[in-house]
Amino acid sequence: MSAVTRSPGGRTGYYTTMTALAILFLFPLVWAGWASVKPTPGSGQQSGYGFGNFVALAHYGHGLPTYFLNSAVVAVMTVIGTLVVSVPAGYAFARFRFPGRDLLFLATLAILMVPYPTLLIPLYVLLGWLGLQNSLVGLALVLMMFQLPFAAFIMRNSFEAVPRELDEAAMLDGCSSFQVLTRILLHAVRPGIVTVALFAFLASWSDFVVPLILISSPDKSPLPVAVVNMQQRVFGSIDYAVLEAGVVVLALPCVLLFLILQRGYVRGFMSGSLRG
Amino acid sequence: MRSTRRDRRQLLGMAYATPLAVIVGVFFLVPLALVMWMSLHDWPLLGEPTINLPANYTRIADNSLFVDAVWFTLTYTIIVTVVLFTAAFGLALLVQRHRPGVGLFRTAFFLPGAVGFATASLLFYGLLSRDLGPLNPILSALGIINKPVSWVSGSPNLALASSIGLVVWRFAGFNMLILLTGLQAIPEDVYEAATVDGAGRWQQFIRITVPLLRPTIALVLILMLTGSLLAFDQFYILTNGGPDNSTTSVVMVIVREAFTRFDLGSAAAVSVVVLATLIMFNVLQLQVLRRGDRPEDR
Amino acid sequence: MVWGGSGCGKSKEAKPSGNPDDGTKITMWTRAATETQSKLLVDAYNASHKNKVELTPIPTDNYAQKIATAAGGKSLPDLFAADVIFAPNYTSKHLFLDITARIDALPFKDSLAPAHIKLGTYQGKKYAVPHTLDLSVIFWNKDLYTKAGLDPEKGPTTLKELAEHAKKIQALGGDIAGTTEAGNCGGCGVFTLWPSVWAAGGDVMNAEGTQGTLDTPQVKAVMSIWRQLYADGIAEPGSKDEQGPTWVGRFQSGKVGVAPMPSTTLAMMEGAGLKVGVIPIPGPDGGQSTFVGGDVLGISATSEHADAAWDFLAWSLSEAAQVEVLAKHKDLIARTDLAENKYSAADPRVVTTLKVIAQGRTPFALNFNQTFNDPQGPWLATLRGALFGPDLDKALADGNAKVTASLSQK
Repeated sequence: MSAVTRSPGGRTGYYTTMTALAILFLFPLVWAGWASVKPTPGSGQQSGYGFGNFVALAHYGHGLPTYFLNSAVVAVMTVIGTLVVSVPAGYAFARFRFPGRDLLFLATLAILMVPYPTLLIPLYVLLGWLGLQNSLVGLALVLMMFQLPFAAFIMRNSFEAVPRELDEAAMLDGCSSFQVLTRILLHAVRPGIVTVALFAFLASWSDFVVPLILISSPDKSPLPVAVVNMQQRVFGSIDYAVLEAGVVVLALPCVLLFLILQRGYVRGFMSGSLRG
Repeated sequence: MRSTRRDRRQLLGMAYATPLAVIVGVFFLVPLALVMWMSLHDWPLLGEPTINLPANYTRIADNSLFVDAVWFTLTYTIIVTVVLFTAAFGLALLVQRHRPGVGLFRTAFFLPGAVGFATASLLFYGLLSRDLGPLNPILSALGIINKPVSWVSGSPNLALASSIGLVVWRFAGFNMLILLTGLQAIPEDVYEAATVDGAGRWQQFIRITVPLLRPTIALVLILMLTGSLLAFDQFYILTNGGPDNSTTSVVMVIVREAFTRFDLGSAAAVSVVVLATLIMFNVLQLQVLRRGDRPEDR
Repeated sequence: MVWGGSGCGKSKEAKPSGNPDDGTKITMWTRAATETQSKLLVDAYNASHKNKVELTPIPTDNYAQKIATAAGGKSLPDLFAADVIFAPNYTSKHLFLDITARIDALPFKDSLAPAHIKLGTYQGKKYAVPHTLDLSVIFWNKDLYTKAGLDPEKGPTTLKELAEHAKKIQALGGDIAGTTEAGNCGGCGVFTLWPSVWAAGGDVMNAEGTQGTLDTPQVKAVMSIWRQLYADGIAEPGSKDEQGPTWVGRFQSGKVGVAPMPSTTLAMMEGAGLKVGVIPIPGPDGGQSTFVGGDVLGISATSEHADAAWDFLAWSLSEAAQVEVLAKHKDLIARTDLAENKYSAADPRVVTTLKVIAQGRTPFALNFNQTFNDPQGPWLATLRGALFGPDLDKALADGNAKVTASLSQK
């Protein structure tokens, strides 16, 4: 890392800048939290501060626990699926040569290049053919597909950054390619794995349009769809109080998850496993 | 002997890549083929489609909304990529130092990523609302403005600035994290050796950091450029493509064809054109950014 | 190319029995904006019948997308509601089942809101019935009227009078506004401004919905009044850029004196503590009209439970449903023969609103959405040009040409 200025002036300047930036980034979310509990005429919280909007959210339709559970199930399936597919693929792209390798990589990247609304109708039809229409599994598979460009790219970069000496040493010791992967490389690419898992979770947890189109039963709807339904009033007017409550409920698990993973992240870097 | 070993390596590689190939093939290539097929037809919602090649494609040039959208999207892409990349890279450089409390700052920057983009857009709509949001009262109190501003639709430039603000807020942290992963992968020793050799901070940055960061920068730029060219949610929700169609993007035109005009063939044709453009563009970009950078396959 | 063969994986319709109420499960989609009313009807039906309707609310802004996808995948639900002005688009694309004979067999068929039936009719065949009604009316804030020295029990009977009332209220100062509109929302403009044109004896397009008539004196008269309100700052300046999400909230905040609003928001306004007066929308010099909006409900063309679905449809129009469910909940009903019932009589404002349905209209156009509601369509540009642009006549003339082109686009 670049040499750090340790002078007191530099340090104060650093912290001032950082705090100002942090406030800027946190402000919209803090406002959402405040707006969800403040008194708003015509909302679930008419007078005084309180959790009226959250109560309204909890009682909507099939109830918050149902929607929450649907979102959680889909998110977990998406994360597992993404990892199971992208980690071996990253290994393959980084360490092996085989016919069609570059073509497969480009095809995977091409997923990013298609406007997702375009794919929704054919995907809907496809899931019908596979008997997966209106199912959480089908939804997870589609969400996983959308994660693959990012995941494959990150995993490939991660594997490529690991010096080949590690592979070769292990193979001299008699390890098969699979053992090289599981015993040596997985640990080395852990930050990449954590990144991929985190982003897969976030994307699938908060996605709105894909579940909207692919899920038709209200009892299988994930949380974002239910929240949007609650907001939309006559003539496109939005119930902002409920929206803010929805934002808080949706964001909270992600915040917690990120805070927990943060510690693993930092430790992974500091362990020096990537030092040459 | 050697060729058997190489064949075995090939087979192994293919085996590890198979799950990816299956998912990409079934869930992406098949629907994509369907889209291409649809682009050749007049495709009613219910009922049988009829071939109308090349009408869907030739009509694209006549669609003035589309042509304006292309110009806007290109302009937007350039501006937002520069701003977002600078912000993300700046943040990454700031948080890579192990100072006390840096974890908290990192979390603060990344937190907006915890909110879905559609919801974030709605959030910003309320935040920036001229009469109901907190931004105008706060800025007035600080003396920065002296009458309420309509951030989202007061003028094309304001609408554009609001959209860029939303995107930077939402995605700076995300991209910061990717760049951070790359930065952290550069070993300390390299910098220490350079310092011993007398290289200053700026030289170290240009000669060590940036080159070693190339694959990561490549990923970030591809994501940003492609994402901006395909921008949709922020305009659909925040500005409604306005004011007066000044922030209407290409994908908005596609969605309008499909779900307002119910002309699925036309929407498919525009999508195919967009995809072809992006593929060419990204192939070029990948070659430029990865040139001379691939670790040699031994 | 045939995809998604019908019947794959779906349960076949129960063997035809004489009684359509035989425990079938019926799927129904409704827009989130009208979920409350749909749910009331569905719950009441389910409680008293063997059939069960499973209601799925869909976010209003994405409703068309969901319908298009389901249609493309040949898996529409048994019943789906539609914004009444989009009905011609859906019927012309054959998304609904022809129910002409069934409707004509109803004893009260002539009392069903005529505007809705007309919009649900295509090439002489009927495809949909009224489901929920929403009318545009003038709301006025009684407290602000009192403060401004106006009679709180008398709303404006001409658009010019509305302008005068608004001017007095504006004079109260502070952050009080005389009136408001949604200056960046095509659909809102349609809902609130067109009734004034109709009340003055004019129209915005021809009866078939293929040509615009925006460059006519009545349209110009209405636009110039609103244009002046904005020029004088009597119409809330912030509302110039209102795209819709916070339009209703402006009046609800209690800071606006008098404005056209959706009738269904009355309960919400009172819930916010306002005292609201209701009067039909007038033309520049008098007359009354309203935009008869809301939703129609139809059976999808691919439904396999048409008989059971019709059972619900017919029931929803019966007295039991219209009076004991909707009217009791203070919602508008679709049957003019039941307009004076024990619940509506309780609130004279409801009676006022119901009576004006007869003078109201629902405009018919196949390409309504892409012309008038769509932010990228020509109407919004015309509206903004007329209200805020440099030249009213030019805006209307140019706009009319573009609107006509869009209306007649194939």
